[in-house]
Amino acid sequence: MKVITAYCNLRAGECLVNGEVVARRDTGSEDSWFKQIYKQHELAYPKFYKMDVLSQAGYLASELIKRANPGISEVYADDEIALVFANASSSAETDRRFIQSYQGGGSPSPSLFVYTLPNIVLGEIAILNKWYGENMFAVLPKFVPGFYLDYSRILLASGSRALLCGWLEVTAGSTDVFLFMVEEKEKGTEFNEENLLHLSQTGAVAAY
Amino acid sequence: MDSLKEDLKKQIIEQLNLEDLTVADIADDALLFNDQGLGLDSIDALELIVLLEKYHGIQLTNPEEGKEAFKSIDTMAAYIRKRKAA
Repeated sequence: MKVITAYCNLRAGECLVNGEVVARRDTGSEDSWFKQIYKQHELAYPKFYKMDVLSQAGYLASELIKRANPGISEVYADDEIALVFANASSSAETDRRFIQSYQGGGSPSPSLFVYTLPNIVLGEIAILNKWYGENMFAVLPKFVPGFYLDYSRILLASGSRALLCGWLEVTAGSTDVFLFMVEEKEKGTEFNEENLLHLSQTGAVAAY
Repeated sequence: MDSLKEDLKKQIIEQLNLEDLTVADIADDALLFNDQGLGLDSIDALELIVLLEKYHGIQLTNPEEGKEAFKSIDTMAAYIRKRKAA
């Protein structure tokens, strides 16, 4: 049975892993919300500071999922974990910042330019974990569970054994991040449309 | 505190869009291109070359010089002082 073995919800004010709050935003802090999570969880990956907000969100959620599901990298070969992400706004936030870098007389910023594609976050996660499996980033109007279910069938039938999936919508006005790990197991939260929708909205499954 | 090093840290944060970092987060001897330091890469090296010209009027054309100069804030400051004294 395909089950969701770990998941992370990252919103504007709180971060949950498997339905448990693991960080709350300190609105009085000078640090950004994502930096607060990075520091609170004592993550150590200086490249985090270079990433755009989309990659920071993907990095944080994937690291917290790995902590909740230790040993994931040892269980599977490096090409057996696929990444399937999506969002609605692509890399619009960074695109805007890149435009601002050269409008008004400045010069285009190479360090911003490299993040002007949404799938860069997949590369960041793949490079960090040395996961060389399939990956794709779709831009969809909204979170659609069927997209992950359909695409996972194709991937699991063609060599992938585990999937790290995610909805990664980070804009200036909102943070809506939901990452989840799908594996073949005897027990767990079944990987189906109803559970995905519920977990994406509430961060908890009422009943298995 | 060495004001050149302080300025360099501010300029790196500005030039490389590292808004989440503060001057206090960057040690003078931290290796800029090492994963244990700032984790910069080749794209950032371009930004550092631009930074040297933009803020300090120094053109760096020899890649070997850059390799040495961009090791850390300490080496960048020493390189700027050497070039300005020449």
